[in-house]
Amino acid sequence: MTSRRIRIAADSVCDLPEEIVSAFGIGIIPTYISAGGESIPDDGHSLSRARFYRDLPGMRPYPTTAAPSPGDAEAFYRSLVEDGAEHIVSIHVPAQLSGTINAMRLGAEAAGADKISIVDSLQLTFGIGFQVWAAAELAASPDAGVPGILETIERVRRHTRVYAIIRTMEYLRRSGRVNAMAAGLGGLIKISPVIAVDDGEVKSIGRVRTWSRAVARLRELTLAQAPLCRLAILHVANESGAERFLDSIQDVAPSDTLVIETTPTVGTHIGPGAIGVATLSNDWRR
Amino acid sequence: MDGRALKDALGAGLARVAGDVDLINQLNVFPVPDGDTGVNMYHTLNRAWQEIADSSSDDVSEIAQRFAQGALMGARGNSGTILSQLLKGFADGLDSAARLTPALLVRSCRAAMERAYAAVSQPVEGTILTVAREAIETLEADNPAAETLDDVMAALVTAAEESLAGTPQKLPILKEAGVVDAGGMGLLSFLRGLQGSESVAETARARPRGAAPAGAVSGIDGEFGYDVQFIMRGAGMNLSLMRRDFEALGDSVIVVGDDTTIKVHLHVDNPARPIDYAIAVGAALDDIVVENMQLQYQTLAAQMPQPTISTGPETASDVAVIAVAEGPGIQSVYRELNCARVINGGPGKSPAAEDFISAVEQVPADHVIILPNDPNIALAAQQAAELIPERAVTVLPTDTALHGISAMVAFGDGVDSGADLDTLAKKMAEAAADCRVLSLTQATRASEIGGRAINKCDYIAFIDGRLESAAIDMESALAQAMPKLVTDETELMSLYFGAALSPRDAGRLIEHLSRRFAALEFELIDGGQSLYPILLSVE
Repeated sequence: MTSRRIRIAADSVCDLPEEIVSAFGIGIIPTYISAGGESIPDDGHSLSRARFYRDLPGMRPYPTTAAPSPGDAEAFYRSLVEDGAEHIVSIHVPAQLSGTINAMRLGAEAAGADKISIVDSLQLTFGIGFQVWAAAELAASPDAGVPGILETIERVRRHTRVYAIIRTMEYLRRSGRVNAMAAGLGGLIKISPVIAVDDGEVKSIGRVRTWSRAVARLRELTLAQAPLCRLAILHVANESGAERFLDSIQDVAPSDTLVIETTPTVGTHIGPGAIGVATLSNDWRR
Repeated sequence: MDGRALKDALGAGLARVAGDVDLINQLNVFPVPDGDTGVNMYHTLNRAWQEIADSSSDDVSEIAQRFAQGALMGARGNSGTILSQLLKGFADGLDSAARLTPALLVRSCRAAMERAYAAVSQPVEGTILTVAREAIETLEADNPAAETLDDVMAALVTAAEESLAGTPQKLPILKEAGVVDAGGMGLLSFLRGLQGSESVAETARARPRGAAPAGAVSGIDGEFGYDVQFIMRGAGMNLSLMRRDFEALGDSVIVVGDDTTIKVHLHVDNPARPIDYAIAVGAALDDIVVENMQLQYQTLAAQMPQPTISTGPETASDVAVIAVAEGPGIQSVYRELNCARVINGGPGKSPAAEDFISAVEQVPADHVIILPNDPNIALAAQQAAELIPERAVTVLPTDTALHGISAMVAFGDGVDSGADLDTLAKKMAEAAADCRVLSLTQATRASEIGGRAINKCDYIAFIDGRLESAAIDMESALAQAMPKLVTDETELMSLYFGAALSPRDAGRLIEHLSRRFAALEFELIDGGQSLYPILLSVE
């Protein structure tokens, strides 16, 4: 893929499967999970997601997530440049939720910032993935330019929605994140929150008492985005739940709908059992 | 009749109801420990009395209006609230007249009844409303030209008695329970007091001395809170001089004996004063008994703790919720769910209308939603809302604290999803309606409901107000009621255990239940509520 002038890059939080990454020559820099005294890169082979999630409930201390270092970022960009990239569009996990963007900026300065456009996706998991995917598709055409790619990313973002339902608030609390969101979800009674990623923030957009009502709410939210150009069903150690959910929205699911076990960088915070969707509505092309 | 005479009559009415509190409380259709109609009517009238206690107005309209205003503010429970509306209707019916005439009394009684009916959206016959209506209708039909106020009152009381006796024929639950309506009884008690006749307790009920709630009538019969008795022993004591001095110290003074032994009995506000006096004159004191006459009153008051209002988190929302809840654990759940104010109250502990008003005044939100969480509390909440028309207040008539919790979850859901006020209120009402609640308590007396014999102390379980089971042990009562509660759709069972139950016993119950309903999720919450060892909701 050395012929590509414009290369698309992202961090591993974008959750793009290996087939898409390699088909478009997308550069992926791993984020890290710190667990059991080790810092493990989320690079798709150092860490078994299935095993990690199986062990997650009992892990003490609770795992933490970490951004790549500026040094990692510099080496990452240098390798893309050495590979022939004339310009890099690098799309990342929101600055409000992670130090990744900051590390990428510092790495880019060291590696020659004029060739690198860093984009805050303001999204998570496949909400980033859709932006990266569309940018990579466009970058593959010979007459693509950086401004057009940036504009495409922006448009995809506007038409993307990411929702999830969470089994228990326990993991969000343990992770120490989203304190404001967790207000009123103190754990005296069981509540399943419905969350959305919007504008770089994780927000509670609903709370229900039972899982089936949570699933019904997720379904309503998904159907409201139809007709869909792309759809990813996301889950944390709950593939059967994700498949059942996909069955329930079969009418609106595009044929290339993906079922993705989401990155531990996100899964650590929302906990096993969670199901989510990332939708890209058809309108984005207009 | 002038204002002073009306004040005396109202005081006598209050005193009569105070004496009949227990009797009225016990007329509970279900043998559950939350009968508080007597206490509620008493507190409503006592609050009304405070408005006129210091008045020496001779204007009947002024006295009646002030009394009514106090009653509206102090209204507790449905019967207390309806009573306050009767009083307000009566006062308005006087139409600013300074003197009460027989004709005006009849007219004002009709105005009272009409206002009370108008205040209740769905009047139920066989209640205090019926007694008020039939009494006035009989009065108008049979005594069109009653000549004196006494004649009118006598006819009114007789008609009210007849109507009350007929309440079981109008309300099947009364008939089944073998009681007359408690609120109707309270009204009759008040009318009899106004008229100056005896207690509604026909039979001479043995009451311990000093048990007529003296504190309750403070301001009517004097301010003396202690009953003091002692024997003075000495030599050459001057009986008549001492009697005069004791009479200056207190009330109900009895001083008998001779120059060596004198028995003293009196009511005083400071028991030290007669004792000091007796010692000062050189007597040796014997058999000193000091009784606090407020005690029974305080027992009443203990059944009705001054509602405390606890503060929840301030939310950015322009809609705030105020709920009535009892039990530290249940109140914590409300606060966790962003309830702005929690008024301490519940079954058997009805807050007054003015408690709702002060809670609303503490909440800066543009709109307030009140969850009364008891059918007997909703009317006072509604009255509070009407007394502060400048505030936008919606009362959602929730039946129990657990129905209210479902509504609170829907509130959080609605706020999170950006719902507007109407949607929010609708979602909360729907959530409360969808929630099914089992309440388990112990029978306070033997009874028969729906052909089911209940022994005193049996555990009895109600689901949404209907008796579903009775058994000598909690587990059986719970197990028998379960088929009525759990359906194929049920996913989650939440058990709130009360103060009477240990966490271990509650844990054991949950264990039984989870074995029986393996597909369900369970949660166990230390509710800390009184009266109901178990409150259980399913979703």
